[in-house]
Amino acid sequence: MKKPLKRKTRNNLVGWSFLGIWAIGFLVFTMIPLFTSLYYSMSHVVLSGDGIQVDFVWFENYKQVFSTAEGFNFLRSVSDFAIELLFKVPIITVFSIIIAVMLNQNIKGKGFFRAIYFLPVIIASGPVISQLIYQGAATIPLVEEMGIIDFINQTFTESLARPIANIFSELIVILWFSGVQILLFIAALQKVDRYTYEAAMIDGAGPWESFWKITVPSLKSMTLISIVFTIINLATFSENAAIQHIKNNMFALETGFGFSSAIAWLYFIALALILGIFYLLFRGATRERRRYS
Amino acid sequence: MARHQKFLGTKINPSRFNRTQVKYIIILIPVLMFMLLPLIYIFNYAFKPIEELFYYPPRFFVERYTLQNFVKLFAVTGSSGIPMSRYLFNSIIVTILVIGASVVVSTLAGYALSKLEFKGKKFMNEINTLALMFVGIAVMIPRYLVIEKLGLIDNFFVHVLPYLAIPVGLFLIKQFIDQVPDELLDASRIDGASEFQIYTKIILPLIKPAIATVVILSFQTVWNSADTSTTYINNDALKTFAFYMNTLTANTNGVAGQGMAAAASLVMFIPNLLIFILMQSKVMDTMAHSGIK
Repeated sequence: MKKPLKRKTRNNLVGWSFLGIWAIGFLVFTMIPLFTSLYYSMSHVVLSGDGIQVDFVWFENYKQVFSTAEGFNFLRSVSDFAIELLFKVPIITVFSIIIAVMLNQNIKGKGFFRAIYFLPVIIASGPVISQLIYQGAATIPLVEEMGIIDFINQTFTESLARPIANIFSELIVILWFSGVQILLFIAALQKVDRYTYEAAMIDGAGPWESFWKITVPSLKSMTLISIVFTIINLATFSENAAIQHIKNNMFALETGFGFSSAIAWLYFIALALILGIFYLLFRGATRERRRYS
Repeated sequence: MARHQKFLGTKINPSRFNRTQVKYIIILIPVLMFMLLPLIYIFNYAFKPIEELFYYPPRFFVERYTLQNFVKLFAVTGSSGIPMSRYLFNSIIVTILVIGASVVVSTLAGYALSKLEFKGKKFMNEINTLALMFVGIAVMIPRYLVIEKLGLIDNFFVHVLPYLAIPVGLFLIKQFIDQVPDELLDASRIDGASEFQIYTKIILPLIKPAIATVVILSFQTVWNSADTSTTYINNDALKTFAFYMNTLTANTNGVAGQGMAAAASLVMFIPNLLIFILMQSKVMDTMAHSGIK
């Protein structure tokens, strides 16, 4: 009889056989293109009818980003986006938590409400949203009437006022990006045992205390996941200004695909940094989670 | 007692309306209106007569309903060489293949990344999260080169393969599998279940809501994508409906084109809505009757 496989070897085999197909697809269609684009970002790339011509130039493209007007515009769109994230992420997170808590109550027509709140997920694609913004459907009329935008423009410095004013004028769009997050929070809420609330009630806790002491802690681990999802969703949204820069430079004569790859990588690094910061802030929360499961 | 509770758990909607619900409804209904805006917009837009499409300032609601956009759209469909049904057929096949395959691939991978112990698991997890952030459009050209090397240009499966390893789908599925308690899996292992049996008999039924979500999201991506047809396919008979709709409206320039584009976007949107209506009850069940607490 053959010697049975070592436990560890067997585990590795089982694990990779489950992961295998995905890993191959991921390698071929995501990782290889990704690293090719890293190589291109350090090259001068010319696309022509006969094919593609690539000359390796080290950090030439990156230098160009930090020294030309086009590069400066791109960097500004990234910093705008980072400031917007600082506001949008908490807004979306808090909004989704509130809605999720409400949709987890016993309300008549709860199924219907949940469906409608999830609905923007299928519509939040680039063209429709940009049309809606243009039509003014994304603003709450009060915002303009009460002069909030003017107030922002007067109070903050120009570089800070622009993204903040943006947030106010697209307040409703922000809500359209919360569908999946609401879902994630509802899933987390349903894991909380009803008896925990009853026990708290018997011990004299009101709904307010129950919310902060039971609901919020049990949502902590999902919060990080929802934040990650939010950032990714907003960052890869096709109407995002930074993405427009990447797109426009791809076939531009002066800059080209090498430059476009370079700014794509810079954008990628910026996002990774932002994600890393949120991860560090909420990491403790994920560790705590075991207590509740 | 336990059975009674489980029964209640599967019911989303409480049968009675009572006064304690009012405070939630008061908040939920106005926000609900905003959530419905994009939907109302798409329908209104498609039925607007040409003059109304160009009103300045734009108006949200249509004033005189007309079918002229649709009439024009279908008039042009008759004039193309390949019948519309061919594109529709291609799109349906592609969509079914992608959804089926990507659900299988990402649930298998999600199970491995969430619950199995093997070498390289942590690394793969991190790399998937990072890859989520990379802007798809930036790898368009490198991906084209890979697909060309594989000889997949003008191959029908090029519509399907690149979508199999969608990082977002895997990310969501993995989060839901994380919620399944390890004890449940350990219990079945003790009872002699193989990992594959655990996957089919426990994991898949429990994460139905996540699967439904991924179906909705990937349907939306695949159905609406004209990019693969434009980039990887030269043979017109292998192109998809989304591509066809795009060319129809792009070839008719100017004012009439706008009206047709509006009609076309409604035609493209209807299947999204149908899938959403079909799948939403499964999504909204979330973990209610999964027995996970």
